[in-house]
Amino acid sequence: MAATAGASRNKRLIWLWTGIMVVFLYLPVACGLLASLNQGRYFTFPIRRWSTRWWERTLDSIEISILIQTSITIALIVTAISVVLAFCGALAFARYNWRGRTLFQRLVLLPIFFPQTVLGLALLLWFNMLGLPLSWQTAVFAHLVWIVPIVTLVISIQVYSFDPALEEAALDLGASRWQVMTEVTLPVLWPGIFSGALFAFLLSWGNFPLSLYTTGADSTVPEYLYAKMVAGYTPGVPTLGTISTAGAALVLLGGYAIVVLARRARSGR
Amino acid sequence: MDERPSILELVGVTKQFGGLTAVDHIDLKVREGEFFTIVGPSGSGKTTLLRMLAGMETPTTGDILLRDRVVNELPANRRPTCMVFQSLALFPHKSVGENIEFPLKMRGVARDKRKARALELLDLLRLPQSYYARNVTQCSGGERQRVALARAFAFDPEILFFDEPLSAIDYKLRKTLEKELKDIHKESGKTFMYITHSLEEAMVMSDRIGVMRAGRLVQVGTPEEIYTQPRDRFVSEFMGEVNVIEVRKGANGHAVGVELPGDFVLPGGAVPFETAHLVVRPESLRFLAGEGEAENHLRGTVYNEYALGSRIQYQVRVGEKVFIVERLRQQAYQGGLDQEVLIGWDAKDSVLVTD
Repeated sequence: MAATAGASRNKRLIWLWTGIMVVFLYLPVACGLLASLNQGRYFTFPIRRWSTRWWERTLDSIEISILIQTSITIALIVTAISVVLAFCGALAFARYNWRGRTLFQRLVLLPIFFPQTVLGLALLLWFNMLGLPLSWQTAVFAHLVWIVPIVTLVISIQVYSFDPALEEAALDLGASRWQVMTEVTLPVLWPGIFSGALFAFLLSWGNFPLSLYTTGADSTVPEYLYAKMVAGYTPGVPTLGTISTAGAALVLLGGYAIVVLARRARSGR
Repeated sequence: MDERPSILELVGVTKQFGGLTAVDHIDLKVREGEFFTIVGPSGSGKTTLLRMLAGMETPTTGDILLRDRVVNELPANRRPTCMVFQSLALFPHKSVGENIEFPLKMRGVARDKRKARALELLDLLRLPQSYYARNVTQCSGGERQRVALARAFAFDPEILFFDEPLSAIDYKLRKTLEKELKDIHKESGKTFMYITHSLEEAMVMSDRIGVMRAGRLVQVGTPEEIYTQPRDRFVSEFMGEVNVIEVRKGANGHAVGVELPGDFVLPGGAVPFETAHLVVRPESLRFLAGEGEAENHLRGTVYNEYALGSRIQYQVRVGEKVFIVERLRQQAYQGGLDQEVLIGWDAKDSVLVTD
């Protein structure tokens, strides 16, 4: 009996701990939402007068919609390019045995560990030296330097659990190289590629340090948030912050829904 | 002798990886409809050999002929052969039916025809037709085995290659599947080429066996020939537990033990030799009541005994050497452990190997 009492106490403690962690992680996000619903210009707590006027203003603002468009454009292009590069890289990384593979693995992963501010600065110097005008396009390149390695790693994990005999078997059963790719390799690696794409999009969408150095006159959502925090705060800042977070959450949920639906479609055959 | 035409011929096939020779000048003819097994320890080059035959590797030198046509450079997807992999390599994202139909889909066969063929193969391999829509991940080990076979049969290849597909399966199921595979071979009439490191497995299924060691084919023959007339010590020891006695040439055609005292009568037809090994299988040894009961005999002590089911195995120590004696339960040794015994064998039940 004592043992069960102890076990249930342990269980309560685990729940309590989990609860504290969740609050700790998500309270700041909730605070952003609260701050955006404040009618006054400055954040005070408790909130005296609630209002959605900052939301209306933000949603109506052309400036904000351009920001969001820029961020989405960068994120989409980064996703597309990094998934293609990382897919090929992951095969080289995890599948084929070749001379210099270990070196390749280390070199590919290194950019992940560079401090992003230093990486951004280095890229800025490079772009200047090459005489490239800074814009959202240079930011795409900067994001790729940091994001391709991460996506490579994500897809590699899937490649490691892929039995290379599957491709040989497909070939042996009469498939062409192209058919092996479309019938076996891509469908089997699809979950890894998909989560890699989600990673790419979200990391680009939320990236601040690299964008700060490399967008030039263009601006992304995180840059704008920072600039407005430094000078010219209004509850529009947490509004946009909340929109940004909600957008990321939507992408994740959408991704999850696609995975669940795909799985259901498969088992429902 | 079997005079069926050969479907597959290997002429001096060699494969080198860097400085390493994995397969070393192999000559072999495999007959149409034969169940041919290549046996060898890991690293003997048997998998590399099979991969060359299937078209996944090309030989460094030598020729592979399929129905008298050189196919060295022909890629796997254009050979009329099919491989069943060790991992089976079933496509995890496809259903049982889609797996079986895969080779037909690759050949552009219409959907309804593919399905008809898949259902036919499910019947042939004694799987219920309801499995057609099942995910391969939901199948048991034995069922997966059958799905892999059905898939291999689907496009009617001329030769089926097997790369140790039973090695990861538990003993009892493996025994069942070995027999099943032999039945399927008989029913289909196709040429099977199988590789394994288990001679026991090879014995059960094969028409002929080739023993491989360090990239070379050491001996090719029927299971009976390999078992009773091993060409050398390696083959004889690969066939399971054996007793090996080191001997040198003695007087009047006999042999004299090197580590053991004794003068041994040799089997008929023994080649001339200076030093050699005399191989005696555990079941050829028996306990003697007197020296006159067998042509050769040794005196030792019974050290331990092991029940193997229908048979009982004994360890008999003769000097420094341990001999293994295996008797049927009905012929069990009646004395106690640590007692002195006389064991012996007739010359015809032994084999003399010179290396």
